[in-house]
Amino acid sequence: MIKIILPALFPSWRFFSGIGPSPRIYYALLHIESDEPTQWLEFRPKPKVLSVKEQVLRLFHNPQWNETLYINTCAERLFEGYAEMRAREIMHRLLAAVARKEILVGEKDNYLVYRIGAVMREEEHVYEQITFTSSPALLKGFC
Amino acid sequence: MLLEQAVRVSEIILAFAFVLQSLEYLRGLQPEKSIAAIRLLLSLLLLVGIQPVWVELGLLLSSVFYLFRFQGPYNGGSDAMGILVLFSLFLSHLASTHFWQEIALGYLAFQLTFSYFQSGYIKVINVEWRNGRALQDVFSITAYPVSDKIRLWGKSTRLMCIMSWVVILFELAFPFSLLNQITFLIALVIAGIFHFANAWLFGLNRFFWIWPAGFPILFWFQSRVIFPFV
Repeated sequence: MIKIILPALFPSWRFFSGIGPSPRIYYALLHIESDEPTQWLEFRPKPKVLSVKEQVLRLFHNPQWNETLYINTCAERLFEGYAEMRAREIMHRLLAAVARKEILVGEKDNYLVYRIGAVMREEEHVYEQITFTSSPALLKGFC
Repeated sequence: MLLEQAVRVSEIILAFAFVLQSLEYLRGLQPEKSIAAIRLLLSLLLLVGIQPVWVELGLLLSSVFYLFRFQGPYNGGSDAMGILVLFSLFLSHLASTHFWQEIALGYLAFQLTFSYFQSGYIKVINVEWRNGRALQDVFSITAYPVSDKIRLWGKSTRLMCIMSWVVILFELAFPFSLLNQITFLIALVIAGIFHFANAWLFGLNRFFWIWPAGFPILFWFQSRVIFPFV
């Protein structure tokens, strides 16, 4: 309890003190649980460009982006070691995206699996490494 | 600015920021969605100034609920600042004497000022921030840039170096701006532009609304604590 409340009352303001690995979330849809994913799709890829109107609106109301930041926080915690709550939380939000048709699924798709890539830089070389792959979750009831 | 005026203006800005946050949570999942409905109502009460002590207590309890629900803040520093402003305002109402009221608000003024200074300090001691490399990574590697077009800014080494130093110098200078009314006003305008840029480039809209909620307390703090000594 103290570990959660105290940092809110005595915060540390070390914004961007070091730029560590940055998460990217990918998902795949499976027909049966034991299938190997054939196509990974990035969850909420960035738009090429945003209009001024969209940007202004986002100043006031930006729920999806803030949820993505939270998902990224969960993914960063998973970089530090396995945390069931964080892994579950990411899946929970991906399934919610299926339920509201943000992620479109086919008739034969019964399971969803996700993986986390860590984008990092070593000297001048930027590369991505997969650090976590979830267990498949049943889509029944979400689509 | 008088203490009571500063508290009231601060509450209005904070309430507005919480209304926006609640509307965002209402688009999300349960159970945070139900809590957001309660917080929306409480925020509207705070906005019009009805029973601030009880309303702020309710908002604090729901903030603690969110902390446990998400095992920490949902949106990092913006949640931390929101709770800090709320907690200090709540304590200022609860304080039995004027002295303790000033202590509660003084703590908020200190944290708000320190938030800029510490952030600038950890950057200036880091060589990668000094040469612009860290900011380049923020644009090129992290998930923050809101579009591919903005991500491309990271390719300009010169621009990144200039932007890094502008941010570092502003953050380090912020506490000293309180020594003079004009420099303080200039610093607040720059702070507004800084938070606007973070919201525009990296989608950090919650920071843009929550930091100014503490600014009225800084106005009071400057006239109460700084001016008598300069």
